[in-house]
Amino acid sequence: MAIDQELKIEMGKQGVVVTTLQELYNWGRKSSVWPMQFGLACCAIEMIATTMARYDLARFGAEVFRPSPRQADLMIISGTVTKKMAPQVVRLYNQMGEPRYVIAMGACAISGGPFKQGYNVLKGIDRYIPVDVHIPGCPPRPEALLQAFITLQNKIQAQPLTGPNRPRHLDAEAQGEFPVPVQGEHDLEPTSNPGVWTVPVVIR
Amino acid sequence: MKTIEEIQAAIEAAVPGGEVTIVMNPSPAAQHSLLVGAGKAVAVAKFLRDDAELALDFCSNVTGVDWLDREIAEKVKVTKTVTKTVDGVEQQVEETVEETVKRAVPGYLECVYHLYSVAKKHGPVVIRMRTANRSDMVELPSLTPIWRGAEFQEREVFDLYGIVFTGHPDLRRILMWDEFKDHPMRKDYVLPDDFEYEPTPHDDVLKRAEAHRADVAQEGAAQ
Amino acid sequence: MSFTYFPLVVLFAAALAFGLVPLSLAWTWARFFSPRKPNAVKNSIYECGLVSKGDAWVRFRSAYYLYAIIFLIFDVEAVFLMPFAVAFTGLSMAACAAMLVFVLLLVEGLAWAWAKGILTWA
Repeated sequence: MAIDQELKIEMGKQGVVVTTLQELYNWGRKSSVWPMQFGLACCAIEMIATTMARYDLARFGAEVFRPSPRQADLMIISGTVTKKMAPQVVRLYNQMGEPRYVIAMGACAISGGPFKQGYNVLKGIDRYIPVDVHIPGCPPRPEALLQAFITLQNKIQAQPLTGPNRPRHLDAEAQGEFPVPVQGEHDLEPTSNPGVWTVPVVIR
Repeated sequence: MKTIEEIQAAIEAAVPGGEVTIVMNPSPAAQHSLLVGAGKAVAVAKFLRDDAELALDFCSNVTGVDWLDREIAEKVKVTKTVTKTVDGVEQQVEETVEETVKRAVPGYLECVYHLYSVAKKHGPVVIRMRTANRSDMVELPSLTPIWRGAEFQEREVFDLYGIVFTGHPDLRRILMWDEFKDHPMRKDYVLPDDFEYEPTPHDDVLKRAEAHRADVAQEGAAQ
Repeated sequence: MSFTYFPLVVLFAAALAFGLVPLSLAWTWARFFSPRKPNAVKNSIYECGLVSKGDAWVRFRSAYYLYAIIFLIFDVEAVFLMPFAVAFTGLSMAACAAMLVFVLLLVEGLAWAWAKGILTWA
C-alpha cells in the first residue's frame, strides 16, 4: 500500500521480495481456485479438454475438480441451463462454501443462446445467481476458458480485504442464500431474481 | 417387401375390423402410411410384429403431430328455386348456383410410428393413429406392450403433445418437470412471457419485447 | 540411552506442527474474519442439487453378499492367479497342488452360486 510500485519491482530484481498481507492472501486464493466437477452440455466437453494435458488448467492451480459443492470455489456453468435444471444449479450454488465464483461459459449459459426463444431453456443463468465472468462462444475454445479463468484470477487478486468491495466471505452482511426458483405450471417462478438481475437497458 | 396395399390387405385378412386406410403421400418420397383405428391398433401392431413375412420387430421412431381445427372452403353446386321476373311475370325458376360452403373440420392429434424389420432387413412401414379431438378425447392405445422401445418415445409424445396412451406402463412426463401443465409442441402453445430483455428481437418476439418496453416506460413515468 | 531417540521426537513434533499449524491458522482466520452463513439449503445432506428425500440411514439387502462371493471368485482369484502364472515354470509340484486347491475352493463357490440361480439375469 504505502510502498511505491517501481521501487517494489526494483527491489524484486535485487532479490528482495516486498509484499502486503492482502497481496499474499489474494495470491494464495487465486492460485487455488478449485472448480466444481459439473458439466451441463456440449461446453462441458471443452471444459474437460481445458483440464487435459494440451491446455492444462492445472498450471493455474485449478486441477482439482471437486465432485462436491462443499469443497469447490468455482462453478463453471458449462452449457445450456434448461428450466428443469435451473433449480438444481441454484441449489448447488447455495451449497458451495464462501468465497464462491461463477463463470458462465458459452452462449447458452449467458443468454440461452440458440435456444433463447424456446420453451424449456433459461435465458441466462445470471437471472438467478451472480456471475463473475461471461465467456461468449458456441462453444468457447479452451483458450477462451483459460482467458476467463485468468480474468477471474485478476479479479480475485484485485479484491481489497476491507471496505465495501471486500470479498463476500469476509462480509457478514453479504447474502448467503439465493432463492431457488420453483418449477411452476407454466414457467419457473419467479422468472428472475431481482436482487441479482435487472433488465438491461437496450441502447439503439 | 410387400406394397402398402398388400400390407393393408394382409392386415384386413388377419385382423377383421382393423379400420386400416392408406394415407397416400403424393410427394416424390412416396412414403405412404397406414392409418389404423384406435380400437384394434394393438391387435394390428401385434400382427405386424409377429407376421412371418412382415416381421416388423423394431419400432424406430414415435412422433406426434398436432393438426389444428381447420375450415375447408368448398365450392358446391346447389339447385335453388328462385323467384324471377321473366317478361314481366313472376315465375318460380329452378337455377343451379355455385356456392362456397365453409365446413369446419375438427382438429386431432396424431401419433406416427416408423417400423422396421431387423430380421428381414426391410422398412419402414409407417402407421398412424388419430385421436378423436384435441381437447378431451386424446387417448390412444399404447404400443409399448408390442415394441418395448416405444416406452420413452410415447412418454415424450405425452409430454409434448398431450396424447394419453392407455396401457402404457409408466406414463409420466419425460422432458418437462412433473408440475408442468402445458404441452409445448402443440401449435396453440403460448410461450411464457419472459421477453423483458431481447437484444435483437424480430417478428412475434419484437411485439412481445415492445409490450415489455411499454411497461417499463410506464413504470418509469409513474416513479 | 534416553537421548538416542530424541531427534525422532523432534521430527515427529515438526511433522505434527507442519500439518496442524496451517489448519489452526485457517481455523483462526475463519473464526475471526469470515462470518458463518449457514442456511437450510447449504446444510442439507444431499449434494447433487436435488431436494433430499427421506433419511440417509437406509438398510441394504443382505442378498448383496451373493455379489460379494461372485466378486471374490472372478476378481480376487485373478489377482492371485496372475503371479502364480508368471512364476509357473519355476514352481514345484506342491505349489501347483496348493493353487489347485485354492481354485477348486472358489469353483465350489461358483457351483453353489450357479445352483442357487443367481447367475441368471433377472
